[in-house]
Amino acid sequence: MTLELDKEQHIEAAPPRVPRKDDPVMRLLPRPLMVAIVAVLMLVVLVPLLYIFMASINSDVSVARGDFWPSEITFANYASIWTTVDLGTGLFNSVVVAGGVAVVCAFVAVSMAYVLVRYSFFGRLTILRALLALQSIPGTLILLPVFVIFSSLSTIVGVQIIGTRGALFVTYLTFALPFSTWVMVTYLRGLPRELEEAARIDGASSWLILTRIIIPLSWPGIVVSGIFAFLLGWNDVLFASVMTNPETRTVAVALQVFGATAEGGAVPIYGQMMAASLVCAVPVVVLYLVFQRYLVGGLTAGGVK
Amino acid sequence: MLAPGGILMVLVIVIPVALALYISLVDLDQYTLRQWISAPFIGLQNYVEAATASPMFHAVGISVSFALIVEVITLPVGVAAALAAQNRFRGRAFVRSVFLIPYVLPAFVVGTVWRTMLQPNGVVNNLLDVVGIDGGLWLNGPQSYWALIAVQAWSSWPFFYLLVLSGLQSVDNEVHEAAAIDGAGWWTKLRYVIFPYLRGPVALALIISFLHNINSFTLPFVLFGVPAPTDVEVLPVLTYIASFQSFRFGLSAAMAVFSLVLIAIPLAIYLRAVKLDTGDEGPKR
Repeated sequence: MTLELDKEQHIEAAPPRVPRKDDPVMRLLPRPLMVAIVAVLMLVVLVPLLYIFMASINSDVSVARGDFWPSEITFANYASIWTTVDLGTGLFNSVVVAGGVAVVCAFVAVSMAYVLVRYSFFGRLTILRALLALQSIPGTLILLPVFVIFSSLSTIVGVQIIGTRGALFVTYLTFALPFSTWVMVTYLRGLPRELEEAARIDGASSWLILTRIIIPLSWPGIVVSGIFAFLLGWNDVLFASVMTNPETRTVAVALQVFGATAEGGAVPIYGQMMAASLVCAVPVVVLYLVFQRYLVGGLTAGGVK
Repeated sequence: MLAPGGILMVLVIVIPVALALYISLVDLDQYTLRQWISAPFIGLQNYVEAATASPMFHAVGISVSFALIVEVITLPVGVAAALAAQNRFRGRAFVRSVFLIPYVLPAFVVGTVWRTMLQPNGVVNNLLDVVGIDGGLWLNGPQSYWALIAVQAWSSWPFFYLLVLSGLQSVDNEVHEAAAIDGAGWWTKLRYVIFPYLRGPVALALIISFLHNINSFTLPFVLFGVPAPTDVEVLPVLTYIASFQSFRFGLSAAMAVFSLVLIAIPLAIYLRAVKLDTGDEGPKR
C-alpha cells in the first residue's frame, strides 16, 4: 500500500512477522472459522478453474449441455486451436508487442524515475501526481483520438499505421509508462544515495551513474515494471479490437474470434474456446506465481489492471 | 532523461485528451472522419444529445451502481480471506497462490470462460438445477446485471485481500500480545485492535477498485458482446458502441469526456491520499 508501508514492502511483500510457528497469540480467527473461510474460497476459485480444464478436454456438445465432467476425454481441442483461428499468430503478435513494450518501458521508466527521485525541479510533484492520474484516464476516452491521429498521420505519410504492430506498441508503451514509472519511483526511493554520491565525487556523469549504478541495483524493480507493462499489452482488448487486422491481432482478439466462429446454428466450439483460454491465461498466471513476492507489492502500490 | 517518456505521454495521452475535447464539440461521423479538422463545429450539441437523447445517464447509473455493489461484496470477502490467510498453517503458500489467480487471470479470459458457463443450458444453470433453483437467462435481460456483478466480484476480490494482507503486516507483535494479555476474544480483538489498522488500506482499496470498476470495459465487452443488453450497458461499452458501431464520433467523445467527470472525485481523493514524495508530507496513518 502506497501510503503506509515501508519502501521495501512496495516491491517485496515482506514475510509476516510471526515469530514462532502458529503462535496462539498471533491468531486472528478461531481455527474452525479460518478453515471454513479458506475452504469456501478455495472452492469458489478452484471449481471454475477446474471447469475450464474439464471443458477444454470435452466435446462441444457436452459443454453445451452443461456437463461439468467430460463425457469423453479428448485432447484434440488443443491441436485444433492452432488451425481454426490461428492462435499461434495471435500469440506471436502478443509476445512481440507486449514483450517489446515491457523491455522499452522498463528502461524508460527507470530513467524517468531516477530523475524524479533524485533531482528536485519545478513541476516535479505535478509530474508525480500526473503519473497516478494518467492511470485512471479511461481507455475509451483515448481510443477515438488515437484512432483519428493515426489515421490522419497515415494519410499524410502515405503509410498504413492502424493495423500495424507498431501502432499498438506505441499505444501500449504510453499506457504502461505511468504505472511502470510509479513502480520505479517507489523502488528507487529505497536505494541508498551514498553509492551515487561516491560515484559523483569520483566524477561520474549522471548517465554513467544511471547505467552503472542505478540500473544494476534496481533489477527487481525493473522486472516488476516490465512485467506490468507486458501484462497491460497482453490483457488489452479495447485498443487491439480496433487497431489490429487478422495478421496483427493479439491473443486477446484471437480468443474472441473463437466465440464468433460458430455463432448461429451449430454448437459453438466451446472446447477449443476453453483450451485457447487456458493457453492465453497460463503464461500470465505462471509469470505472476513465479514473481509473486515482487509483483504483489507492485499490485498494491497502484492497483493495476 | 525525462524527455523520451514525457514526450510519449504528451503525444499519446495529453494530445488525445485535448483532441477528445475538440471532437466532442464537432459533428464527426464516418463521412467526415477523414477531414476531421473541417468537421462542422456544433458547440455543446453533442453533450445535449448525450444527456437527453442517448442512454448515457442510464449507463452512468449502471456503471456507478455496479461499481459500488461489487465493492460491497468484495470488501468483506477480501478481509475474511486476508484474516484467514495471515496466520501460518500447512499449505498456506499454496492457498495464497490460489487466491491470487482470479485476479491475475486476464479479463478477456475471465469473460470468455464465464460466458460459456453462464449459457442458458450451461454448467452454472445445471449446478443450480441440482439444488433446485431455476437459473434462467444470465447473459440477457435483467439477470445479466447480476451476472456481471458476480463475475467482476469473482475476479476482483483478491485486490482487497492483497491490500488487507499487507495492512495486517503493519500490526506489531506487541499489539497482538497486549490484546492477549487483556484477554480479548477473537472478535473483540479484531473489532477494536486489528480493524483500526486496516482503515487506511481499505479506504485506498475502495477508491482504487471503484476507479477500476467504473472504467471496466473488457469484462462486460467480452461477457456480453456488443451490442450489450441494456441492463449491462456500462458507460465504457456505450462509448465504444457510439464510436465503433454507430460511428457517432462526436457523441461518443462527449460521453467519454463525461466519464472523466465521473472519475474526477474519487481520483482527487486518491491523489490527495497517496504519499507523493520522500518528504514528510502526505497523510499519517
